[in-house]
Amino acid sequence: MRYIAAALLLVAAPAAAHHSWTADYDANKPVTVKGVVSKVEWTNPHTHFYLDVKDTNGTLTTWNFEMASTLALQRSGWSRKTLQVGDEVTISGFGGRAVTTRAVASSIVTADGREVFKGTPGQ
Amino acid sequence: MPKTIAALAIALVAASLPPAPALSEVEGQNQNPVFRLGGANGPKVAERANRPAPKLADGTIDLSGVWSGGGEVEIPRLLKPGELDAILQPWAKTLMATRTEDKDPYNYCMPGGPLRLTGGFAWRFVQHPTVNSTHIFMLQEANAHTYRQIFMNAKHPPDPDPSWYGHSTGRWDGDTLVIDTVGLHDKFWLDGSGIPHTDRLHLVERWTRTDFNTLRRDVTIDDPGAFTKPFTVTYTARLAEPGSEILEYICIENNQYGLPGGISKPADSR
Repeated sequence: MRYIAAALLLVAAPAAAHHSWTADYDANKPVTVKGVVSKVEWTNPHTHFYLDVKDTNGTLTTWNFEMASTLALQRSGWSRKTLQVGDEVTISGFGGRAVTTRAVASSIVTADGREVFKGTPGQ
Repeated sequence: MPKTIAALAIALVAASLPPAPALSEVEGQNQNPVFRLGGANGPKVAERANRPAPKLADGTIDLSGVWSGGGEVEIPRLLKPGELDAILQPWAKTLMATRTEDKDPYNYCMPGGPLRLTGGFAWRFVQHPTVNSTHIFMLQEANAHTYRQIFMNAKHPPDPDPSWYGHSTGRWDGDTLVIDTVGLHDKFWLDGSGIPHTDRLHLVERWTRTDFNTLRRDVTIDDPGAFTKPFTVTYTARLAEPGSEILEYICIENNQYGLPGGISKPADSR
């Protein structure tokens, strides 16, 4: 149920970015990973969703995906419960300029194929 | 709950919501906050587009409400090409050339000063709803429960301690609220472009509610320490959708700015 409310509102949030995202993330480093949400930081200035990703060898890597402020996410239909620990998702975004296990999210798709977020990174 | 039923439940809840509040109730307590900031695009905003600016019982323009914008545009974009370059003093020009985004104190959760308080985040004018009000407040949701206080029909102290938001006095010039601010220090950037200023900065803002949805903000920026002459920029703020509220946002709670990019925190952005 929590996904549905978010899916109803895939509109971009109003501009409330704390800063632009290009200082930290590289538009030329698109990433897409599939994994399980292991931690949710419903915080400001931005929210962070941590994803445990296993590669083909079974090695586990924890990614740190940055998203908008709680204000911008709430105003586009999200709540602190939209993504929860244990959810399986595929997240796309752009990788950190210096830290390769960090990224800013631009799309989040649930295990059953629903896109619960699509937006401009950093908003 | 099966998802189809859940979707239906949401639809039913939506259908049973009370109708949108009448305009007179817009600023009343929000029983069913939608937390939206529709700006000029929401349908309820369009309905009130042709209404004049509301007035209080004594005839004073009522500025109350949640607003979006009014300080979010960087100053160089509000000036003619070459205009800033012509009025910046040489030292300020040199300093500005070194100011990249990753050095902006605001990105490290320091306050943004008077111009940026009405930047990209929602903010609220709070106007004491009586004749001869002594204070007007501007509350911003961002940074960390930030506010400006405007002392109406008051005088500046002779030598105020320099501060992030300074000392602001207010008066009405017809239907325009004029805010005069001095007592600012130079620890913040005027805007995201990094225009330098000194503690001699003097801001005169003229706030005019040109219609129900729109606030025009003309700001004259005078700083003999940084510019060769005063100049004026104009911003526009839009009234948020009925039912919108400012929310909580504590910037220092979890600011990871710079970590993904390997950016070192500048010494002057503590």
